[in-house]
This record gives sequence, structure tokens and C-alpha cells, in this order.
Amino acid sequence: MILKILLSGDGGQGIQLIADMICRVSFEAGWHVTSIPNYGLEQRGGVSLNFIQISDKKIVYPKFSKPDVLLIMSSQARERTEEYQKDSKDIKILDIKEIEDNLKKNNVSMQSYNVFCLGMITKILEEKNICKKEDVFTLIEKKLSTKLGWEENKRVWGFSILN
Amino acid sequence: MSRQFLTGHEVVVQACIDAGATHMFGYPITPGTEILSGWIKRAQEDRSLQYLQTEDEIAAGFCVAGAVMAGAKAFTATAGPGTVLMQDAMSMSDGMRLPFVVIVGQRGGPSSGTVIYSQQEVNLAIRGGNGEGMRIVFSPSTVEELYRLTRRAFNVAWQYRFPTVVLTDGYLLKTKQDVSLDFVGGNVGAEPLVSEKTQKNIRNIYTFEEELYEELMKQKEDFDAMAKDVVESEFYCGNEVESKKYKVESCDELIISHGIVAAAARDAVDQLRSQGKNVGLFRPITLSPFPKEELNEIVRNVKKIWIVESSMGQLRDLVKQNIDFTDFEKIPQVDGLYKPAVGIETEEIVNLFV
Repeated sequence: MILKILLSGDGGQGIQLIADMICRVSFEAGWHVTSIPNYGLEQRGGVSLNFIQISDKKIVYPKFSKPDVLLIMSSQARERTEEYQKDSKDIKILDIKEIEDNLKKNNVSMQSYNVFCLGMITKILEEKNICKKEDVFTLIEKKLSTKLGWEENKRVWGFSILN
Repeated sequence: MSRQFLTGHEVVVQACIDAGATHMFGYPITPGTEILSGWIKRAQEDRSLQYLQTEDEIAAGFCVAGAVMAGAKAFTATAGPGTVLMQDAMSMSDGMRLPFVVIVGQRGGPSSGTVIYSQQEVNLAIRGGNGEGMRIVFSPSTVEELYRLTRRAFNVAWQYRFPTVVLTDGYLLKTKQDVSLDFVGGNVGAEPLVSEKTQKNIRNIYTFEEELYEELMKQKEDFDAMAKDVVESEFYCGNEVESKKYKVESCDELIISHGIVAAAARDAVDQLRSQGKNVGLFRPITLSPFPKEELNEIVRNVKKIWIVESSMGQLRDLVKQNIDFTDFEKIPQVDGLYKPAVGIETEEIVNLFV
């Protein structure tokens, strides 16, 4: 079993943070994990990517061109990841565009979009028996509970996991 | 062996500390920056570790040269255009036989190029100086090997007194993954190479051409003697790895690659062999000294060679220099996949054989 996840968004949207959480939880659950960030020379405003692989076998190469799951958090990221969508069979695309209306309706602050996306990916991880949603929440609590906007993040997490 | 979740940078820093390194001099450049920042972090916990962030790579290199002459196990880490600037001090270290250790994170070139990945610094690592390129260059393929070879770099540098490069890239350095590191193994000690008291000096300049000639011929003799102990390669054709005795008959076509590309190639060999194709992989672990004997033993029995690298042919040139066709019954065809400055995935290598 190998699950390939490509996360994409604008720099500053928190892509690297949620990548770290997905990997940390999967690692603690005993899986082989690789995670490699990719970004350009820009200090800010560029597209931020993270290539994640979770497997029951040792992983030899960190990059891939056919993800199983693709997260798109911005229009810039949508453009940048176009090549990863071609010839990918059964790719699951989680595109912020499709859910943005729902997020706005529920007053989800833009700062918490990444936590919402993490919730969507957590559901996939749980489906694949990689880890439990409680483990992800424990880690989020550990990493974010002392930071600004924790109450909002907690609410968004619950909203994401239940929907 | 404990299981950890680490980046290649963290692995390098741990390897340097485990090798007994005490001083790092550096100038930050992607993808090598986190080696410097990681070392600084460790130095704040352990006061026996020293560091200096210099004004550029030229200064960092000469700091390393000075520190090792004084007997400190020092090193630097750099990349791309930084590796170019580093050649000044490295060339002096070539001439003075200094145990200069540098971790190079290859990035796309020429010039500033791209910031994460390439395999275009092979020539620079081996022959970047104004001399004969008598350096030891390791090319690790996995993060576990990155650890082992970084430790080994200090040992061979101090034992044989040749500048030593760990040639890696941002894919290996920046990937965070589960690793089980093997901490076993001793370290070669460091000692001052010059002495004011006994007026022991090392020369860097010669009055007579014949003097330098003699010195270089002696260096070559030492280099060849060292090569027997240091040279490393791997031949892989399925589940068996035999580094000394090769099962040559089991391979019709041979992939040659190094570094992280060889990790993808190894995966490709597994896939191809499961399809019934007789493919093997030869991987030089030391690019310098090059595993010439090992290579020749294998290529004389194969029909075709595929060079696979993230460069336009820097590995191919090394391979061609080192194959001795004189007593071959049949000369194998040489083809390749050359993708300068971009990564090469397993599928692309498998597709070569369709």
C-alpha cells in the first residue's frame, strides 16, 4: 500500500504545517513516510507544495507525478498542479473552489482554511486505516492550542470532520 | 537502531557530531542552509561545538582550511554557486593535502539556477580546482547512506589527507522521512598538521617546476594506494546485493546512475525483473576514486548500458573515461536518459525498457 498526497496552496496558507501534521501522525502510527516541500525563490506569494508518501514499505524516492490525493488551496496552485492531474487515474481532488461557498456561509475564517483541509484529508487517512482522527486532533491541539485563533481552529476542525 | 522522523539536514548534522566534528564554518545557501542552522542549534546546547557564519563561501572555505591545519575537525556545507566559490579554498586544500570536508547540496545550474535539486556538480566536486582532481567524492543514495558516508568522509579525510566531498542534493536533504540510523563505528582522530615550535609547515607554492612535479607524482601514488581502501560501489540485480562478487551473467542491460537517481533506478530494476527483463544497476558510491575495476568487470558482459542522471552527461563522461574496452569481445552500446536539473522517477526509467 502506498498513498501519495500532493498539497498545494499559496505561501503562507499553512501547507507546510498541515503536511507536517499528516506525516507526524502517520509516522507515529508506524508507517514509512516521506515528505518533501517545494517552493520557488520567492520569500512570499509563491506556490507552496508538499509531496507526501505513506507506505507499508520503505520509500526510495520522494517525488512523484501521479498523486492519489491532490489538495488545491488557491488559483495559483490550481495552475501549478495541472500537470499532476493528467493521466492520474482515480485521483481524488480536494479543491478549495468547490467548498469555498460553504466555508463562507459558515463563517470559517481564511486563516483556518488549512485546518479545514486537514480535516478532509484526515477523513481519507482514516478510511485507509492509516491513522485515527483523534490522533490528528491530539497533535493539532498540541501544536496550535497556545496560538492565536485556537477556538476558531477547534470549531473549524469539528465542522470539517463532521461534514 | 531507533526509528526517527528526520530531514536529511538533521541526519547530516547528527553524522558530523557523531564523527567528532567540532567546528563548522559556512555561508547559508539553499538547499544547504539548514545544515548550518541545525549545527548552530546543536552548538547552543553543546558548548564544545563551534561555528562561524562567514561573509561568503570563500571565507568559509579558508576558515575550514585554517582550522584543520590547527588540528580541529572542521567542515562546511554549500551548494550551487557556493560550490563554485568554495573551489578556491578546496584547491589550496588539494595542494596542501588538507582533510577538508564539505557537504554539497547540488542545485540547478549554471549560476543561481534553481534552488533544490540537480546532479550537475559532479565535475565541480571532483575537478573544480586548478590541479588534477585528487579528491574523495561520495554520492549517497539514501538518507541512511547520507549518514554513513558523512561520518566516513571525516574518517577518510583525516586518515588519507585528501579533501573529501559528500555530494548530495536538496531532495535527499529536504525530505523528511522515517530513518533508522546505525551509530556503530569508530572515528579517526584529528591532530595539528603544522607546528610553530618544530617549524613544521605545509607548502602551497614551489620555486621549481620539477619540485611541484615530484610532489604531484607522490600525491598520485598516495591517491592510488588510498583508492584500494576507499573505493565503493554497488551492483544490484534483484534481491541480491553483492558488493565484491558480481553475478554478472544475470544481467543483459545495465543501468548506471548515482545518488538519489540510483534509488529510483534500483526500484526500476525490481519492477523490470518482475517483468522478466534482465536488467541490473551499477552504482558508484565513490565518484572519486571511481570504481573502475568493478565497472569493467560488469560491463564486459552486458549488451547495453543505460546512463541515467540529472545532468547532460557528467556521469556518462566519468563512466566513459573509466571503461577499458581493449580486451572486450563485444563493445556494449551506450544510451542514456539525461535530464539536467530535474528529478528522475522510477516510472521514467522503467519506460526506457518498453
